[in-house]
Amino acid sequence: MPAHPNPHQDELAELALKRVVASGAEYGDIRLLDSTTQSIRGEDRRIASIREAQDSGFGIRVLYHGAWGFAASSILSLEEAPRVAELAIEIAKGSASLASEKVKLADEPVHRDRVVTARRIDPFAVALENKTALLLETMEYLHRQPGIVRSSASLWARQDRKLFVSTEGSRLEFDLLAVNGDFDATAVHDSRFASRSFNTPHLRMGYELIDDANFLAEAPRIASQAVEKVKASTTKPGLYDLVLDPEHLSLTMHESCGHPSELDRVLGYEANYAGTSFLTTEKRGTFRYGSPHVNLVADNCEPKTLAATGYDDDGVACQQWDIVRDGIFVGYCTNREVAPIIGETRSRGSNRADSWGSVPIVRIANIGLEPGTATLDDLLADVKRGIYIEGHGSYSIDQRRYNFQFGGDAFWLIENGKRTHMVRDVIYHGITPEFWGSCDGVADQSHRRRYGFITCGKGQPGQSGWMTHAASHARFRNVNVIGGHVG
Amino acid sequence: MMSTTGHKTWPKLTSRDEFRFLVEQALKRSTGDHTLVALHDQHSGTTRFANNQIVQNVDTRRGSLSVTVAFGRRHGTAGTTDFTAGAVQETVTRATQIAHLSPDDPEYLPPVEPQPYLTPPTTRAETVAAGPARRLEYMNEAIGQCRMENLGAAGIVSSSIATVGVAASTGLFAHEERTDAQFSLTAQAGEATGWSAAAHRSIDHLRVQERTLTAIDKAKRGLEVRELPPGRYTVILEPAAVAGLWSSLLWMLDAKSYEKGTSAFSGKLGQLIVDKRLTLRNLPAHEDLLGIGFTADGLPTVASDWIADGVLTQLAYDRFTAKVRGIDKIPTLDAPCLSGRGSSLPTLQELIKATERAILVTNFWYIRTVNPTDLTLTGMTRDGTFLVENGAIVSAVKNFRFHESPLRVFNRIAAFTNPAEAITSETGKLLVPAMTLRDFNFSSVTRF
Repeated sequence: MPAHPNPHQDELAELALKRVVASGAEYGDIRLLDSTTQSIRGEDRRIASIREAQDSGFGIRVLYHGAWGFAASSILSLEEAPRVAELAIEIAKGSASLASEKVKLADEPVHRDRVVTARRIDPFAVALENKTALLLETMEYLHRQPGIVRSSASLWARQDRKLFVSTEGSRLEFDLLAVNGDFDATAVHDSRFASRSFNTPHLRMGYELIDDANFLAEAPRIASQAVEKVKASTTKPGLYDLVLDPEHLSLTMHESCGHPSELDRVLGYEANYAGTSFLTTEKRGTFRYGSPHVNLVADNCEPKTLAATGYDDDGVACQQWDIVRDGIFVGYCTNREVAPIIGETRSRGSNRADSWGSVPIVRIANIGLEPGTATLDDLLADVKRGIYIEGHGSYSIDQRRYNFQFGGDAFWLIENGKRTHMVRDVIYHGITPEFWGSCDGVADQSHRRRYGFITCGKGQPGQSGWMTHAASHARFRNVNVIGGHVG
Repeated sequence: MMSTTGHKTWPKLTSRDEFRFLVEQALKRSTGDHTLVALHDQHSGTTRFANNQIVQNVDTRRGSLSVTVAFGRRHGTAGTTDFTAGAVQETVTRATQIAHLSPDDPEYLPPVEPQPYLTPPTTRAETVAAGPARRLEYMNEAIGQCRMENLGAAGIVSSSIATVGVAASTGLFAHEERTDAQFSLTAQAGEATGWSAAAHRSIDHLRVQERTLTAIDKAKRGLEVRELPPGRYTVILEPAAVAGLWSSLLWMLDAKSYEKGTSAFSGKLGQLIVDKRLTLRNLPAHEDLLGIGFTADGLPTVASDWIADGVLTQLAYDRFTAKVRGIDKIPTLDAPCLSGRGSSLPTLQELIKATERAILVTNFWYIRTVNPTDLTLTGMTRDGTFLVENGAIVSAVKNFRFHESPLRVFNRIAAFTNPAEAITSETGKLLVPAMTLRDFNFSSVTRF
């Protein structure tokens, strides 16, 4: 399979970058991207939509006298490339006329490479009728459970074929694939309703991810738990020990560790939208973020994960580094622009754009919780009164990432070391370093699971970031649980 | 696929005639019983600044075309950003393949017949003409004012023009131009922040200077901050904060969920759901809203009442549910305006003056549903939260998290103003009053 379907891509890139070099700009790059996305969505026992979209275009970034300009177009013509390049130069010159502090990029070796993410089964080659049959059958299984009134099921796949060329001489080709599937069931009881969902992680794999997920085996459990959930009793507010599953933790880590570790937020770039961060630069190396059990590692090299693309959109090679080590905050997610501002000589390679039409910005890496030594049973055994939480629910956090609140998809009461029955409307609230400071146990490698996000919102205009967060189950002591029906 | 031919009309977007030509190409090649073609062609630019200087300055042209082909009740959709004849043909072919392989969709309905449309004021020439230089001019104005006060500025100035179209084998044809301009600013005085934002079809109506002064005033008032305990307070919500709560409410008006019993509104159609002085209307032709002429289905937008004197009178219907329910004219909610009946105070300042003690909220952030059954929401106050005593702001307070349902809190209205323009980073544009509400539940406090 070719890395990019456009036979004129190198000519187009050369035409554009020639203009950039001739302008006197100190740096420029071009990304040509051709994305194919297939989404199949089922709803209430029918296939509601099947859509396949081709999205192609290119974006040119120019750094002129220390200031950025960016222009992009979906018209992939040899006439359009120089016009867009000139526009990006003109915009950069406008920015430069007002720049008081000049952008200086961290050095990066020149790379010439081709990256193809692993896949065993091409999802676009799997017969459409097999996919729709799987979704219809899954929804039928869900509706066999009395009490289920609504269902949904979907499959999604995206292939990105990208070429990155910079004025420094880097030339990188990418063929990146990602796949995901999910379904949920909604039950009604006593004028209430509640849903339970099943999600494969978004991973850079082929359709084998869906085959291995075994929707039909999981559907009866999900349906039965949706009914159990809607009939469950509410929780009494108070302090509880929590045992959180890897899927649930992926969101907790994302919001309370991932975002505050983005250096552009720390430096104020997102002050008007996504917010800033409590992990200010003087805290690096000394601030106690969590208990000694908490080791949060960024790893953009782990195969099949969303941010493991070989290189980021600065052309920087993917890396692994610590964010929190033994509970102490030690590292940030950076790009070539912000890394030098805190004295780092190389970017961590976390600069990504969500399309050819977007400018790359600092993104959360694949941040995961390093496994500990316990088993899940060990974690539960030492809980007298607690709650075990699976999956994602409601979530909200302040713009500096201190005050957060999370729900979940399913909740079980833990009594005297045993998971007993489901409860509903569980919401827990905390302050980030206090919450992570209460972590007193993490399960071992055998419990480790990966979950990913493709809808992480940041930037103006808004962009969707992709990253994976892996974890084993973890236990947190004396967390403030409030009811979900307060007000 | 790349074209080596020139695009002499660029940056002119796909015109009505050009869209008609693309539609004819697609319909000619389609063998489906029904074919629907949709266009979205946009040219947009954003100048983004932080720490008093530009951090992004971008300009993007993106055109996309999607084709839906149906055979009986089997349908498929394919999309492309390539408008060349070959690509349009490939897109029709792919949609056709998908439709052939799709199962019957019992809820499928053929595209609508040709429709009469309103012609709301969706485009303004001054926004069409605006480019990077105009955006820089506004940005300079905001940064200059903040610098004079020794404050930091972070924000955006953006402008865009789009042509949008929908057409079908039934003869349906709709095409219009839409412009949009936005300004938002967070002024920073150390830890204190003040925010203001605007969106309008006309870039001339962003009122950059006035909004900059508002953000500066809030940031400066935030320098001295006190911490109040969580609890129930009288609050004065500025229009942006009211818009945040109402947007969450409007999202939940889906008719299908209503029918299935999975909506917070189930059983409430025709019932009083908020204070009887409140009325919510859709006003697509209002100059200060972002109304449109037609929906993605090609249905005309309509002026209509959604909540009349506090009573829920409409739901958001998909075409299938509307057909089942015998609804001929599907109401739209593209330009919402919430207003209060009876004695209102003209401005936010009057509202503050008339208040003995309250928390003044500039904006809410990260509003999420906590309990979909009763529409309990949570979120944080942001960028300007103040204590009001005896008719005046006396200090800033640390930000609160709230737990409230709009279905409860908008039954505890003490006072309101006339509707004003409101937009936040999490909502579309609305016209809503500022409001004083009693017993608003702040459940916790954060560190700043």
